[in-house]
Amino acid sequence: MNLAMLKPGEQAKIKKIGALGPLKRRLMDMGVLVGEKVKVEKIAPLGDPIEVTIKNYNLSLRKKEAEGIEVEVER
Amino acid sequence: MRAETDDLRFKISDFKKSEIANPQSEIRTITVAVAGNPNSGKSTLINAIAGTRLNVGNWPGVTVEKKTAIFDYEGVKIKLVDLPGTYSLSPYSQEEIIARDYLIQEKPDVIIDVVDSTNLERNLYLTMQLLELGIPVVIALNIYDEAEKKGFKFNTKLIEQMLGVKAIPTISTKNKGLDVLMKAVMEAASDTAQHTPKSINYGEDIESAAFVVESGIRNLYPTLANRYPLRWLAYKLMEGDEHISKEINLSGDGTFIEDAVRHLKLAHGSDIESLMADARYAKAAGLAREALTKPDTRKIELTEKIDRLVLNRFLGIPIFLAAMWLVFKLTFDFSKPFSDWIDEMINGPFKRWGEALLGFVNAPSWTVSLLTEGVIAGVGFVLVFVPVIFAMMFFITFLEGSGYMARAAFVMDRMMHAIGLHGKSFIPMLLGFGCNVPAIYATRTLENPRDKALTALLVPLMSCGARLPVYVLFVGVFFADHGGTVLWSLYVLGIALAVVMGMVFKRTLFKGEPPMFIMELPPYRMPSLKNLLIHTWEKGKHFLIKAGTYILAVSILIWFLLNLPWGVEHKKDSYLGRMGQVIAPAFEPLGFGNWEAASSLVSGLIAKEIVVGTMGEIYVEKKGEGAEDEKKESPTFIEDIKEIGTSFATAVKDSFVNVFSTFGFASISADEEEEDKEKGSTLKDVISTQFTPLSAYAFIAFVLLYMPCFVVAIAMKHEFGTWKWFGIAFAYQMALAWVVALVIYQGGKALGLG
Repeated sequence: MNLAMLKPGEQAKIKKIGALGPLKRRLMDMGVLVGEKVKVEKIAPLGDPIEVTIKNYNLSLRKKEAEGIEVEVER
Repeated sequence: MRAETDDLRFKISDFKKSEIANPQSEIRTITVAVAGNPNSGKSTLINAIAGTRLNVGNWPGVTVEKKTAIFDYEGVKIKLVDLPGTYSLSPYSQEEIIARDYLIQEKPDVIIDVVDSTNLERNLYLTMQLLELGIPVVIALNIYDEAEKKGFKFNTKLIEQMLGVKAIPTISTKNKGLDVLMKAVMEAASDTAQHTPKSINYGEDIESAAFVVESGIRNLYPTLANRYPLRWLAYKLMEGDEHISKEINLSGDGTFIEDAVRHLKLAHGSDIESLMADARYAKAAGLAREALTKPDTRKIELTEKIDRLVLNRFLGIPIFLAAMWLVFKLTFDFSKPFSDWIDEMINGPFKRWGEALLGFVNAPSWTVSLLTEGVIAGVGFVLVFVPVIFAMMFFITFLEGSGYMARAAFVMDRMMHAIGLHGKSFIPMLLGFGCNVPAIYATRTLENPRDKALTALLVPLMSCGARLPVYVLFVGVFFADHGGTVLWSLYVLGIALAVVMGMVFKRTLFKGEPPMFIMELPPYRMPSLKNLLIHTWEKGKHFLIKAGTYILAVSILIWFLLNLPWGVEHKKDSYLGRMGQVIAPAFEPLGFGNWEAASSLVSGLIAKEIVVGTMGEIYVEKKGEGAEDEKKESPTFIEDIKEIGTSFATAVKDSFVNVFSTFGFASISADEEEEDKEKGSTLKDVISTQFTPLSAYAFIAFVLLYMPCFVVAIAMKHEFGTWKWFGIAFAYQMALAWVVALVIYQGGKALGLG
C-alpha cells in the first residue's frame, strides 16, 4: 500500500520511504518520516497532486512522489 | 495602520539620530543573520526592523534574492542579512546551500531564527540545525497572535532552558515584540561565548559516535577543527554529506568516520541521514510537546473552510481561472493609463523641452536628435515599464503572501507538469500575454532553478500585447473577413509551440534534473498593505536601477544604428537599413525577402510594436515628414505643465475606471488617433502591394515567434544573473520563427495558396 492509493479522509502510518537522494532528503526535511501519521485531505481537481496533513500542517506532493511512500492504513 | 505605527518602537528617525549622535558607532558592527522557514513571516519581520533601508540584490552567481540592511541601533552598527527561507540546512537546494555556506563561512555574530508559532514542531527542525552550528541564536516566536487565537499556550521559559537560547514572542505584522527581540540580539552579541547554545543531545548512540569522529578530526585534521563548528562537522561527516566532504576533501585517513558509524549502522540501519533527521525531529517534537499546550478540541479553521471551496473538485478550476483573469486584468488595466501618461509626457513636453534647451544654446541638430530620440526616448522606455512592473509585483506578492499562490500551483500542476513545468509556471505564462517583461520577473515565484529557467524560456512564445498592432495591421489588409480567426490562430500557434518546446527542453536541456513538487500549503493570511508596498517598491526600484541602465544604453545604441553614418538621408542607407539589406536574403524563402521588411524586423527587436512604426517610416517616408511638420507648433511651457497635471489626473481616473470595468461596472473604448489612421491607411495601401496573403501570414507568424524584445533580454539577464538563458531563448526562437514561417510559406505555396 502506498500513499498515492489512499482516498481523501483516510489516515495511515508511514512504513517506509522508498525515494532516494534529494527527493528522500526533501521529504524527510518536510517531516515525512517513518512512523509518522499522515492523512490524505484532497486530490487536486485534475487528479494530481494530492494534499496531505502531516505534523499538523498541509503538504502537497505529486502522486508519483507519493507512490514511493509505503503506508499502512489506520482504521 | 496609524495605531500600529504609533506602537512601532523602532522609529526610523531614532536610528538616524543615533547615527549622528554616536561617532563611536563605527567601532563595532554586529552581523545578524535572519533564518527561518518559508511562510514564517520572516520577510515581514525584516521589513519591520529594517524598513526602507533594505537593499535587495542577488546572492553571487545565483538567482536567489539577497536582502541586507545596515543601520544603527543604540549606538551599535547592525548588519542584517536575510538568509533564503528554508525548511532545513541540508545541501539539496540552492537556498539551503546559500544559507548554510553563509553561516559557516561568514560566521555571523547572532542568528535570528524566525519560527512560525502556529507550526512549532516543523519549524523547530530548522532550529535544531541552527543550534548545531554553535552560533548564538535568538528565536523569534513569530505569528504569536495567531497561535494564541488558536488557544496555544507557550512556556517560553522552558524553551529557553532546554535550548539555552532566548525565545521571544513576536508579531511582525504589528511590530510587536521586536524591541525585546533586538535587545536579546544585542545581549547575545555582547558576549557570544556566554550565549552559545547548549549542544543538543541526540541520544547516546549518535553522541558517542560523534565524539569519536570529533576526536579523529582534532587529531588528524586540526586545521578543520578551527574552520568548522566541530560537532556540526562530525554530524555532517557521519551523514555522509557530499557537499561538505567535497569541500574539506579529507586528504589522508578517513577510516575513523567509518569506524564511528559502524556501530550506529548495526543498531539503526545503514541510513545515517535518516537517523539524524529522525533524531532532530524527535527533539523538536519533544520540545513542542513540553513547551506548548494545545486546546483539546480543534475547531475547523478558516483555511480549511476556504480550501473546501477553492480546491473543490468542480469549483477549483473555475475559481482559479476567475482569480487569474482578475490578476491579469488588474495588472494591465491598472498600469496602462500610467504607462500611457508617461509615454505621452516623455514624447511630448520632455522632448520639446530638450529640443528648446539645445536650440537655445545653438547645439548642432544631431545632438538634438541624440538627446530626444536616444536619451529621452530611452528614459521613457524604462519608465513606461515601471507601472506594469509595480502592478505585477504587487499582485504576485499578494498571491504569495495570502497563501493562494500555493493553491494555484496545486490546481494547475497536472496540466503544467505535462509539458515539464511546475504548477506555479502558469502565472508567468499568463502574464506573458500582456507583456513578457513582467512575466519574466514573475518567474521568481518558482523556487526550483530548473522550473524557473524552463518557464522563462517559454514565456516569450506567449503573444504579448506589443505584437498585436502588427497582427492588426496585416489582418486588416489581407484577412479583413476572417480577422478574428486569424488573430486567434496566432495565439494558439504560440501556445502550441510552447507545449512542443516544453517537451523538447524537458528531454534535452533539462534532462536528468528531477522535478519536484513537495510544497507546503500555508494557512491563508491577509498580507498587510504596508508590507505589500515595501516589497513592491523594493522590486520596482531594483528594476529601475539595474535593468534601467541597460535599457537606456541599448536605446542610445539603437539611435546610432538608425542615424549613422552622419547625414544619412534615406533609411535604406542607415546602419539599420544596411543591416536589413544584408539579412534580407535569409527571408527570401519565407516570402518577404526585401530590405524594408527585414529592417522592420530588426527594429522590432526594440519592441515589437515598433515594426509597424518602422514600416510606416520606410514605406511612407514622405508622409511621415509631413506629420512631423505639424508638430512644430509647440505649446508653451506653462501649457505643457498644465497638460502634465491634467493628463496625470486623467490617468489616475482611467486607471480606476479600468479597475472597476474589470468588475463589469464600466467600460472604456480604445480611441485611435485620427493622425495615425490617416498614416495607417497609406501604409496599408503599400503593404497590400508588397505582400501576398500567404507571405503576410508567414510574416506575422515570424513576428510572433522571433526573439523577444531587448527589454525581455535584459529582464532575463537581470533575473538570472547570466546571459545564458537569454542566449538559448534567442537561438531557439530565431530558428523556430524561421522554420515555422518557412513551413507556412512553402507549404502554402505547395498547396496552391500563394
